[in-house]
Amino acid sequence: MNDSKNQDRVISDTISLRYDYALGEVAGKFMDGLKEGKILATRCSKSGLTYLPPRSFCEQSFEPCDSWVEAGLSGVIEQSTVVIRGYEGKRATPQAIAFVRLDGTDSAIANYVDGLDLSDPRAAMKRIAPGTRVRVVFGDKREGRITDFSFELDEGGAKA
Amino acid sequence: MNVYVLGTATHPPAIAQRGLRLEEIAYHTAHAALEDAGVSRQQLDHLTLGACDELDGRPISSMLMAAPAGGFLTDEMKVTDSGAMALCLGYARIKSGEFHLGLVSSWCKTSKTDVEYIMRLRGDPFFSRPIGLDMTTADGLLAQAVSEAFGVTEEEAARRAVAGFERARKNPRSLQHDVPSVPQVLDSEYAATPMRALHRAPMTDGAATLVLASEDFVRRNKHLKPLARITGVGWASDSYRLGASRLRSLQSFQKAWAQALAQSGAKSPDDFDVFELESQTSWHEAAFVRALAIQDETKVSPSGGPFAQNPLFCTGLVGAVEAALQVGGRAGAVQRKNVKRAAAHSCHGYAQQGNSFVCFESVESNP
Amino acid sequence: MSVAVIATYQSDFKTSDPTKTFPEQAQEAAVGAMKSVGMTPDDIDAVVFSLAPTFFMGVADADRWSVDHIFAAGKPIFRIHTGGATGGSAVHAAHALVSSGFARSVLIVGAERIAETPDAQKVLNLIFDAFYERDMPLSTNTSVALQLSRYLQNHGLTEEDMAQSVVRQRRNALSNPHAHLKGEITIDDVMNSKPIALPLKLFDICPRSSGSAAMIVGDESVAKRFQSRPAFINGVGGVSDTYWIGDRVTPTSRTDWSSLKVTEIAARRAYARAGITDPMREIQLVELYDPYSCAGYQQLEHYGFCPPGVAARLDREHVWDVKSGQVAVNPSGGTLCTNPIAITGLVRAIDAASQIMGTAGSMQVPNVRNALCSALGGIGQFASVTIFGAEPASH
Repeated sequence: MNDSKNQDRVISDTISLRYDYALGEVAGKFMDGLKEGKILATRCSKSGLTYLPPRSFCEQSFEPCDSWVEAGLSGVIEQSTVVIRGYEGKRATPQAIAFVRLDGTDSAIANYVDGLDLSDPRAAMKRIAPGTRVRVVFGDKREGRITDFSFELDEGGAKA
Repeated sequence: MNVYVLGTATHPPAIAQRGLRLEEIAYHTAHAALEDAGVSRQQLDHLTLGACDELDGRPISSMLMAAPAGGFLTDEMKVTDSGAMALCLGYARIKSGEFHLGLVSSWCKTSKTDVEYIMRLRGDPFFSRPIGLDMTTADGLLAQAVSEAFGVTEEEAARRAVAGFERARKNPRSLQHDVPSVPQVLDSEYAATPMRALHRAPMTDGAATLVLASEDFVRRNKHLKPLARITGVGWASDSYRLGASRLRSLQSFQKAWAQALAQSGAKSPDDFDVFELESQTSWHEAAFVRALAIQDETKVSPSGGPFAQNPLFCTGLVGAVEAALQVGGRAGAVQRKNVKRAAAHSCHGYAQQGNSFVCFESVESNP
Repeated sequence: MSVAVIATYQSDFKTSDPTKTFPEQAQEAAVGAMKSVGMTPDDIDAVVFSLAPTFFMGVADADRWSVDHIFAAGKPIFRIHTGGATGGSAVHAAHALVSSGFARSVLIVGAERIAETPDAQKVLNLIFDAFYERDMPLSTNTSVALQLSRYLQNHGLTEEDMAQSVVRQRRNALSNPHAHLKGEITIDDVMNSKPIALPLKLFDICPRSSGSAAMIVGDESVAKRFQSRPAFINGVGGVSDTYWIGDRVTPTSRTDWSSLKVTEIAARRAYARAGITDPMREIQLVELYDPYSCAGYQQLEHYGFCPPGVAARLDREHVWDVKSGQVAVNPSGGTLCTNPIAITGLVRAIDAASQIMGTAGSMQVPNVRNALCSALGGIGQFASVTIFGAEPASH
């Protein structure tokens, strides 16, 4: 019973949902740490693991994390990519992002990798290959948001 | 394969749990349930979740929630109907013989978003959304249908609401709302006629977890003392449409109950000592009590039901915890005497489109 | 108690279908499955609805809207949602309902209308953590790109190696009347396609498909009445990993995300239940959930068909070819060719089960005694594996 006149008829609606996400037990402290130029991780004494982003409990032991640790300000790239097709509301592409395991922690945290020549994306990929060392660089203006810092190649350091 | 409840936990309720992330609420509740049961997370072989993306504020909310709720590296799946529905599926998974120890977890932070906006999103875009159909409107329509079908008056609904708040005050696990008077309820403004604002259970933030075990597991771990045995479950959905016959018939309520009752080995509601009903409004309670032909109303929601706490999506799972505690003799100040059988009801969807029942029986000793 | 696949149905998949509403799509599949074996709604005891995020089609809990269309009013029905793994989990949930004795027959049904909004990428960015990740251009595509950078490096593989799976499967899909993408393409076509997030290009990535699907499962009594050649669900296995990607890529990780090692756990659990000890010898066909060119290889390795890092090399030896390979891999074209998120896992199961039932039409591979299908969800976080057999496994 297909009436060809109905083919392109639509009813449109725009949905905008607002949420208040509680920062919870640890995210607030992490964000405050960023303002002070520190990257704070949480540690579980039962499993011995140190987590970034910080967690209120440990997956492995299923117990609360019981101490805070300042992560080192350099570390190793675990994985990376150069994003070519971008998104509204984020930095204009191309952009390099990486998950980096900062010294003294057991899990990797994601952020942009700055200071790269992205005109040849494949060449840039080689420069941020897994295993490459990077260091944390804080912006001048910090608002307590993950974008308060980014990574740059640690040219002086040895490859891990 | 018999299925037992080994332990339970509900998160301390709050109107708005601002200091905790959703994952933290789920973690604390799961952790507490495991402690209550005397088993560790590592022993689990499955997890069944009940959660709603829209209420949680993320598409695929179980990505963030599965591990905090106890699911790290276990066989986890999620239903979206209600927390109580997760209990029905969790029960079936163990009854199948494939799984032996699992959690059933659900949560809801009604304070974090505009709940009615989400209720309107559940309306089909062609016929329901343009008239702003939401939870208030649907419950108003149900109240009208219940009033016509059963002769329920605003006064009865007011008395039931007050009684619900009063019972809730005695419940150590409740939010302890102030108890209004019947005139106050009747003076409160209409939300959607004939339903008044104070006929409705206030929404809260909360979470609940149950630890379920197979008979095999319980036999192999004789030091554990089960809280209750699940004897039957049933669930059903009504039509999506809100016509008068659908609203008055309570068909899915009846079908869900009939299925659970048949499995439980009991003959009628008279064989049950407690009914924890998810009465989102006191009009719901008026209808449900009649549908079950409950003679002795002291059996009805001794916990206070949603008037004690109402974390919407998992209110029915909280009711299941209360029912399990009753048969286990651990309900504290609201414990009824000699509870052998308890039934926990939950509903979801516009004007209780979907209903579920879980029946519990007391366990004399570890078999 | 054995659980049998009685009937299946899948629509043709394309970008969008403006001639039907969502419930009408679900109805097409429900009716199609029932009619294919002469069942009526009265023969269905319970329903499991397969539906992942509804943000794409803009009606929350659209399963409730669909209740009347799929003849579920008055019946037990719930909806399963485990992200991309939804369809696979739905099959497992239905399996539990039958093997527990709760229902003699279960209809598993769902639909996807992903093109209802042009903002799919924005929606997918929202699955990431609000505080630590949403400010970055993380999405399903970019996160797999991250994973792939590591996988290629770990095993000395190249983008050209990955491109083989796209070429092979688009060709397989030419035999699949339902597939969304199909055709003869070359490695160069894949390499020259638009870069999205290196090392992924457009052709390494699945399409976004709309359509519907249904499967009816039942116990022996139902199978006897309606299906002379059922497929038996002999093994189910599922696993959920931690959410945090950063926990899964370091030396202390329990599972290595860069190769989707968590999938091995799901397979191990399913194999144990099905009594499979030598997959390469006992399983003739796999329908893998592979939305990216690397995902099929990673799963073949973790499901025990070859050692880690070797699957792409074996592709050059035609080991995974449908006609002349040692295991028929994705004769349907797999998820690389068709990805209707809400039901993709169900379509994988249908494509696997129908090979055993002899109803795979032009995709039919002869003599399939055991088949495996998989479904993945989240960011390589949820995995479910199902083993189908021509005979019920003895427990």
